[in-house]
Amino acid sequence: MFDPADWPVIRLTLLVGAISVGVSLVPGILLGWLFARWNHPLRALAQGITMLPLVLPPVVTGYLLLMLLGRKSWLGASLESITGLRIAFSTTACVVAAAVVGFPLLVESIRLSILGMDQRLESVSRSLGRSRLQTFLRVNLPLCLPGILSGAVLSFARALGEFGATIVLAGDIEGTTRTIPLAVYGHLYAVDGEAAAGRLVLVSVLISLVALMAAAWLQQRQRRRMEDQK
Amino acid sequence: MILEARIQHRLGKFTLDVKLESAGPVLGVFGASGSGKSTLLHCIAGLIKPRQADISVRTRRVCRRPGGVWVPPQRRQVAVVTQDPLLFPHLSVRGNLTYAPGARGALEGDLGLRLREVLRLEALLDRPVANLSGGEKQRVALGRALLSRPELLLLDEPTSALDADLARDVLSLLLRVKQELGVPMVCVTHKAGELMAIADDCVVLEEGKIVAQGAPVSVLARPRALGVAKLVGVDNLLRLKLLRHDEPGGVSLVDCGASLELAVPLCAVRAGGTVAVGIYADEVLLCLAAPPGISARNALAAQVTRIDSVGHEVLVGLKAGSTPLCARITPSAAQELKLETGQAVHVIIKTSACHILGD
Repeated sequence: MFDPADWPVIRLTLLVGAISVGVSLVPGILLGWLFARWNHPLRALAQGITMLPLVLPPVVTGYLLLMLLGRKSWLGASLESITGLRIAFSTTACVVAAAVVGFPLLVESIRLSILGMDQRLESVSRSLGRSRLQTFLRVNLPLCLPGILSGAVLSFARALGEFGATIVLAGDIEGTTRTIPLAVYGHLYAVDGEAAAGRLVLVSVLISLVALMAAAWLQQRQRRRMEDQK
Repeated sequence: MILEARIQHRLGKFTLDVKLESAGPVLGVFGASGSGKSTLLHCIAGLIKPRQADISVRTRRVCRRPGGVWVPPQRRQVAVVTQDPLLFPHLSVRGNLTYAPGARGALEGDLGLRLREVLRLEALLDRPVANLSGGEKQRVALGRALLSRPELLLLDEPTSALDADLARDVLSLLLRVKQELGVPMVCVTHKAGELMAIADDCVVLEEGKIVAQGAPVSVLARPRALGVAKLVGVDNLLRLKLLRHDEPGGVSLVDCGASLELAVPLCAVRAGGTVAVGIYADEVLLCLAAPPGISARNALAAQVTRIDSVGHEVLVGLKAGSTPLCARITPSAAQELKLETGQAVHVIIKTSACHILGD
């Protein structure tokens, strides 16, 4: 049932998912922290903007990204002239689309795990002689690790299924931007493509299911960790 | 000096305004919950930035505001042990003990050996913290704090979350730490016994202000603030009208109702004003008839209103005039006097046993 011809598509999909989570991780932790701890009227606005891709139609998100990063935009043009990098309609575009759409899931999971942490542990760490940064690395990070990982797995799963924003920003270019959802869509409209579509659908369901189960398991660990603090 | 502090800090409606100094080794901070004890400790530890403060820990100035001196908590060498042990749940006991910089070496050195013995840590070392008992957790928390080799150890109600036996155990450990390791401490508590046992001098906080200070014995035995009296369990807390002063006699007379007068030590309250008087139930004597020729200034006719046996004590409720009183006597005395409710007795109270509160 596995066809070697599908392999480049699957590989590209996994690669895009992994890189998009990889680049989101540090900003995700920072924003999750900020949203959990920063008490400022502007927080609601910042939080809203970050969460927007969760509810916007992905095609709209893709369009907005194209406006921002396309060759005609100020940012896209300067990026191209400085680094020679063209974002739109490249694998990078796939990564950007996937990262932006998966980002809210990552941030929210991290925010909740930081919110659930007993802040007094930080005070203890400080008065035992550890700086803010050391406290973050030795106490906050390990305690929130299951929450961070579950956010990462969820946003990875979301990245695998990204279609709308990707097709607008990255297009459907075989070998460069054709991920599983785009390939499935293509196969469905091709003559005799149903078998190929079916195979990819199965792969897609399997990967997503494993990811969701992993996320659930990690969330349970995070909850247990919170209870241990009591 | 282990500590010199002058702090003014507002937190919503609550204001902490204290000035204290202690030569140690252990300063007790006594007060009810909400009196500002924990806020005071947080200021000393650097966990809150007070509006105005000048704090020195063992002659090193750690905070002066305004004035721009601010040593962050991790550089104060002031460790804190709270009511909840707050162990790091992702680390083993050993991981917790060696958390502070340099604590790994300290655990293997002389200090570590002493602590393993005093705090009975050896058997706990490689266990995860989740399944330790409350007392074990507190021992580890204490060890963790001491292994950071603090200049000053702050204890915030260290035994409050433990049951009586464990609390006694932790207290005796603290005493050994005090005697054998000589670490200066500030110990916040609302338990009079704990304060007596461990503190060399103490301050009493009430609503963010220091209302009494001195040696624990004198502060507790002669409570001068109503809050202290409540905390140490002075059984008779009365608010009575002052009738007149008898200066040559060294007494002031207060009204107990039904033209009964109670002689209390001379105080500054004006005649007609109200005076708060605290009397320990142990210092109230009962007598079946009015005794002739007695030095105690008060022999008031009273009626027994109730009798409660509590363990090896008998609490006798009384009414003298319109004033309710309580006496604590032994079961043998109760038997010999054949006390019953409704019985008429005389209540004997020395003037010096009447503590004027809030003077």
